[in-house]
Amino acid sequence: MRALGGWIALTPELSAKLLMGRHVWDLAQHCDAFGRRLPELRAHAQESESANPSIATFMDAIEEPEAPDQTMERLVGVYSVLKPHLRAIYREHLARANPVYEPPTRRILTRCIEDETRHIVAGGEILGHLRGTAAAKERARVHQARLDGLLAAAGGVAGDGMPSSPLTSVEPLPADLSDDAREFIRLEAATGTWPVPAGLHDALTGFAAALVARDSKALSHWLAPGVAISDVAWETLCAADYAGHKVVAFARLGHQHLVKTRLDGSAGSVVVLTRWTSAADGWRVAALDVLARDPRPA
Amino acid sequence: MDRPIAYDKLAREDRFVRMRAREVAELKVSQGLPPFPDLSSAESIKERVHGIMVGELQAMEGAGRSVCDFPDAPWEFTMDMARQVWDESRHVEIYLRLLDHLGGYAGEFPETTILWRCACAEDAAARVAGVNRGLEGLACDVFNQLVHIARKIGDPVLERAVDFVLADEITHVRMGSKWLTKLTEGDAERRRRAIEFQENIDERFNLGGVRREGDHDAVSISIATDVRRLAGFTEEEIERLIKTTQRSQVY
Repeated sequence: MRALGGWIALTPELSAKLLMGRHVWDLAQHCDAFGRRLPELRAHAQESESANPSIATFMDAIEEPEAPDQTMERLVGVYSVLKPHLRAIYREHLARANPVYEPPTRRILTRCIEDETRHIVAGGEILGHLRGTAAAKERARVHQARLDGLLAAAGGVAGDGMPSSPLTSVEPLPADLSDDAREFIRLEAATGTWPVPAGLHDALTGFAAALVARDSKALSHWLAPGVAISDVAWETLCAADYAGHKVVAFARLGHQHLVKTRLDGSAGSVVVLTRWTSAADGWRVAALDVLARDPRPA
Repeated sequence: MDRPIAYDKLAREDRFVRMRAREVAELKVSQGLPPFPDLSSAESIKERVHGIMVGELQAMEGAGRSVCDFPDAPWEFTMDMARQVWDESRHVEIYLRLLDHLGGYAGEFPETTILWRCACAEDAAARVAGVNRGLEGLACDVFNQLVHIARKIGDPVLERAVDFVLADEITHVRMGSKWLTKLTEGDAERRRRAIEFQENIDERFNLGGVRREGDHDAVSISIATDVRRLAGFTEEEIERLIKTTQRSQVY
């Protein structure tokens, strides 16, 4: 719960943010229900500690991926490793819990199993959406294998052994019972095409082509009077070769437009932010900034 | 996990353009436009809704950090913050759909991160004072006015959606008041600092006189005195806020 809450700010993708935001409250209620049950079983309320040091190591490994490009690792840890394990543990516990002596525990477990099933399905949907390239899939596989190993070494979250049937596969739920993660994906992808005015479209294409070619003369044609590319920005642009370009953001600021253009090449990518203003001789760049360079290929 | 995180770690998809609020306002004024959307046209309503959507996103992220950053706070505090995460995530969904309804899209206007920076306060008491009372109080003003405008222009989708969100914001202000009191019990200095932080935020979000007392149609952001009472602000607090708007500096 605390990891999901903390990760929302560290995760760029809207669909993953909404997924985590939806589930933090469910998990808080799970913790609360278990925590309230503890004193009824002669333990302290709302207190938790690791079953053994290896569980703490496993949880630290779950929380490790914090970088913006590690969303998949974050989701794999929670939705492909921890939650399926918890669900299996809850099911085993429920099977053992006496229906006459332990209805309070059974009710908590039943609710948690239902929620975890819903979460796993939704998480799987978002993971399927994010797992784009073969390299990304491999990263997810390696991370999952490492976490599976740590969890097994700890003897599961309770430290008393892994569940006999891990039940990793979950049947899809009817849409009205699920978190309908497809809607999160739809909301993320709702921006169809940028509403770029015709004249600006040509200017953006010409300017981006000049950026890719590092053609300072052609670039200067697009700059408004008094605007220059700083030495630092030029050095960043020249740090690698780029083969293509793509508009990745298109915003309005009054009558002006803010445009992010990503230049891609085998040695990585760079994003250039420009502010365009309409002048008598057409659209011109009124401000330019080269944002951080990513050394990995897109 | 780092607790708390630096405010510049806030992660966004490429389609969002982040800018300083002051720079956005100055660039708009230089084009002969009002510094903040004034709800006088469909376009300015869309821009206001986009600003709220981004604010809800940052509120969700901020509440999520409060769940994460304060493991030693009372458990009930964590529960309230976790509930707020869920509320804010639904608000993000609602405003994304409203943007769609108004013909807009996420990233259509620049994002400013002043709300998020307020949510990065290191003290839990300051955070709930600043975010839940200062910023959610601002949300009460903005949403109440948007409900009124939506009713006036005959947009029941906008009216009802924002009205439901407003109900949640009132709850969040109440949570803020509760935790400001509980977390600072027996620590007058901590309470003083937290309230000072909130008042500083109130002052900033008066936006140089954009927010003030007045009719919904007459001012850009009208202070929602009735809603604020419902949320638990005292008469003295409301009066103080109105007074500060009369001497507010341009943001």
